[in-house]
This record gives sequence, C-alpha cells and structure tokens, in this order.
Amino acid sequence: MKFERYILPVFLLFLWQLLSYVGVIPSYLLPSPIRIIFGFKDLMFVGMPPEHLLYDHARYSLYRVAYGFGIACLVGIPLGLIMGWSERIRALIGPLIELVRPIPPLAWIPIAILWFGIGIKSAAFIIFLGTFFPILLNTISGVVAINPIFLDAARSLNAKEKDIFFKVLIPGSIPSIFLGMRIGMGIGWMTLVAAEFTGVKEGYGLGYMIMTARDIQRPDEIIAGMLVIGIIGLFINWAFGALESKIVRWR
Amino acid sequence: MGKKEIYPIVLGIFILGLMRGPALGSEPIRIGYLQSDIHQLACWVALEKGFYKKQGVDVKLAGIFRAGPEEMSAFAAGALDMGYVGEAPATTAVANGMARVRILAQVNTEGSAIVVREKANIKTMNDLRGKRVAVPGHSTVQDFLLRKAMAKWNIPMNEINITVLKPPEMINALRTKQIDAFIAWEPYPAKAQTMGVGRVLLYSSDIWKNHPCCVLVADQRFLASRPAEARRMVAAHVEATDFIDNNPEEAGRIAVKYTGMDPESVRLAMQNVNYTYQLSIEGEKEYVRFLVGLKYIHVKDIDAFTRNFICQDILKELVKK
Repeated sequence: MKFERYILPVFLLFLWQLLSYVGVIPSYLLPSPIRIIFGFKDLMFVGMPPEHLLYDHARYSLYRVAYGFGIACLVGIPLGLIMGWSERIRALIGPLIELVRPIPPLAWIPIAILWFGIGIKSAAFIIFLGTFFPILLNTISGVVAINPIFLDAARSLNAKEKDIFFKVLIPGSIPSIFLGMRIGMGIGWMTLVAAEFTGVKEGYGLGYMIMTARDIQRPDEIIAGMLVIGIIGLFINWAFGALESKIVRWR
Repeated sequence: MGKKEIYPIVLGIFILGLMRGPALGSEPIRIGYLQSDIHQLACWVALEKGFYKKQGVDVKLAGIFRAGPEEMSAFAAGALDMGYVGEAPATTAVANGMARVRILAQVNTEGSAIVVREKANIKTMNDLRGKRVAVPGHSTVQDFLLRKAMAKWNIPMNEINITVLKPPEMINALRTKQIDAFIAWEPYPAKAQTMGVGRVLLYSSDIWKNHPCCVLVADQRFLASRPAEARRMVAAHVEATDFIDNNPEEAGRIAVKYTGMDPESVRLAMQNVNYTYQLSIEGEKEYVRFLVGLKYIHVKDIDAFTRNFICQDILKELVKK
C-alpha cells in the first residue's frame, strides 16, 4: 500500500521532465526537475547572489522569524492569559485587537520601514504581527475553555487566586497555547519571505534570495528556493507537533 | 488515487505548455521603459513629438518598470515587443535563456553616479569600505558599475555591503542614514544633490569612460515576424536622439513631464548623460566578460554571443541614409 502513494508523484515528475525535454514546457516558464536540482546545487555551492550561500540565507531567515516569534510569545501568551482570566480586561482590550487583527501584516511594510528601517527590526515587526494574533487568541480561548468545575473545585479547596492562575489556568490552557504558537509560526514563516521581498539590510534571507534569482533570471533557482522554504516550513511544523505531543503526554 | 484524477493534471500541464505568449499580428507594438530613467528620454521624446506616428507605427505602452530585471521578466513572459532597458539586465536575461531579445540600437552612454550623504566623511572609493551601498537590483547596469569600481580600486566584494533598494526609495534611505551611499541612474543622483541630501562621489564616466548603458531591444519573435516595423521603431529612436541633441531645452521639458521632477534636477541630470544610438560591440563584450566573472551568467564563446545579441544591420542601414 505504501508503494502506491509514490506512483502519482513519481509519474508526474517523469512526465514533467519529459515535457520539458521535448520543449512543450519552455524552460523560462517552468524549468525541468533536473534543472531545478542543479539550481539547488548552485544555491548550495555558488550562492545567489554568488558567494551568498543557501545555508546563510536560511540562517538569517530563521533568525528573523525566531526574533519576531519570540517577542510575539513573550507578549501574546501573558496578555492572552490575563484576557482569558478577566472578563473586564477582555472587554477593554478586545475591540482594539479586533480592529488591528484583520490588517494583513504585509500592509504594514511601508510603516515598518519608516519606524524600524530596513534591518532586522522591521522584519521582526512584520513577523510579530503575523504570529501575535493566533497566539493571543488561542491563549484566550484556551483559558476560557477550561472547565469551570476545575475552578470551582480549586476555590472550594480554598485556593488563592494566584494559585488558581498558575496551577489551573496555565496548565489547562497549554494545549491551546501550543496550537496558537504552531499556527503563528506557520503564518510568521510565510510572512517573512514576503517581508524580505521589500529589501533586507544584511543581504541575506530566503525571500531576498528568490528576488535576487529573479534579478539574475534564474527560474531554476527561484523554484529550488521555493522548495527550500516549503521544506523548512514543513520541518518547523513537524518539530512543533513532536514537542506538543510530548507535552500533552506530560499533562 | 484513481487514474481518472490524473487526466486533469496532465491536461493542465499541456495547457501551460501552450501558453507561449500571445500570437503576433498587426496589433500595436507593446513597449516598456524604466520609471523616471532619464537615459530613456528618447522614448518619451518619440512619444511626445509623435515620431512613432510619423513612422507609421502604432505603439502601446505596455509597462513601466522599477528596474531592468523586472522588464526582462516581462519580455520572458511574452508581454513586450520592444523596450528601453539597461544593457546588463538584458545581457543576463539572454545569457540565462530567460528572454529572447536582440539589441537594435544604443540609447545612451554614461549617466549614473555614486552618491554619498552630503556631510558624510567619504572622499574616495576607499572610504566606502565597510559601508552600505544601495543598488537598484542585482545585475542592473548600476550593480555592474559599482562592482567594476570596486575592482578598479581593489576593494574585495565582501568589504562593501550591497543592499537592493528601488531608486525612488534611495534618497530617503540616504537621508535617514539607513545606507551610506547609493548608485542610481539619473535623475536620482541629481535630485539628491538639489535636495541637499547627497553629493556625487563618482560619476559613472569616472568608473568606465563612455560606458554603454541603456539599449533598445526587440523580442526575437517580433523581430522575425514584423521586421519592417522594428526598422521604423529604430528610425523613430534615431530621430528622437538627434532631437535631444539639437533641442535640449525642449527635451528637458519632456523629461520634467515624464519624471515628475523639477527642471533644476533634470538640467543637472542631463549633463551626466550622453545620448547616442551608436552601438558598441567592445562595450557589450566587456559586460559579458564581467558578468561571467561575477558568476551571474555562463557564456563560453563571448564573441559569438555578442554577434547574436547585437543586431547592427538595421542601424547601419538607417545611418547610411
């Protein structure tokens, strides 16, 4: 049964290669799989622009995401816990959040450049906007969804509010917080690449790399770069899933 | 997954294969140029003074681009028939098999400059070591010129941080100290001067005397199917270039209209540009050699590549007349 899963992809790859080979698919519209593999090799060893290797592009991109994502967690999780806990605070901040949330992070790019320049800070700010809201909203809903019986039980055992917050609310909302982090990370990764399209100071980044490949007219490297972005995103998602299942087991 | 589900995918790939640009007929000629690039003034003059109409060709503006590589992508997509574009991005796109165009005429030589902040303590190329310099894009004429200047002053590639910024954003980035210098086509260097933001460190003529810059290119399919119209386009270009030489005042007013800049900046900018339609084979070879050295392109036979890329016949015939 496992074997069957690979029939279609492999068949399509062969077909694609064949159509490229006979010229039905012009290479300037879509390079053949083999050319993309060579493009990947060039990204690894020649670099795009030359001497800017794939490894460094990925490192800078991951660093930018970690930066924005870290700040989003530091702000979003505590704020979410408080907003979930207190209905009054939720009513106070909620409308503002709902106003800002639908603005696409990419619409902030011109403002981000004005406020933070073209360096890491403005990229981190864009990532922050992409990751913050999923984390916040999932944390709130995680707290709100805790079974009131647990709270009543804790209160009837004379638990202090502080203890309820730290020993009931936080552990209880962890699965939901994780979900928010996972969604946020996914959105952040997508946002990052687009944010790098507008220019980066350091000269590195996967989005920047793709735009450079387009400047130098190398579609094989563009597609190889897109695949790298997809694979790294997949890996991050998988790592979060693994971490999550471990923590859920602990719970 | 059943066999039936494969068919739509296969069909989709076939359709993709058939999308090879629209058929060519007697539709208007689709042209493109770069946003506010005063090098390409001949194009605006020909539009404004009706030189295209006079030649009996119907021209449609199909794209205004922010940098040469974007315009070459439009050629690759089959969206342009002819265009005014930098020689470096055109060379890169053709050498890498993306766009199939040929150069029909020169548009200008020189006309770019490296600009530093007015009060910055940068006096020579060597003072740019460790600094951040913006270019309009990789494989633009300006990227090429900056790297050529670095080679001329023996500055290794990793000693200057090269950042990509679009020319309209450069002056502001220079003012807010996000970059230490930029290299751009005119009139941006002139504009930086008249705004009191920057001063010129080097004119591109200091880097490479008489360097070819923008060219008039035509898509090969267009050239093959409508050669007479291509010839008339070149004739209009020659007339417009002569017009600029003979009527700089009026050409300047047209430049003001198309760049949206003040007359003072335009006047200053035009002093730095040499308008000519004369092609330079040696200049193109120099581009190819340097781009190969940068590993942007791979060309084995530089002479043969240049011969195929530059079509001299049309221009020669016109100039003889």
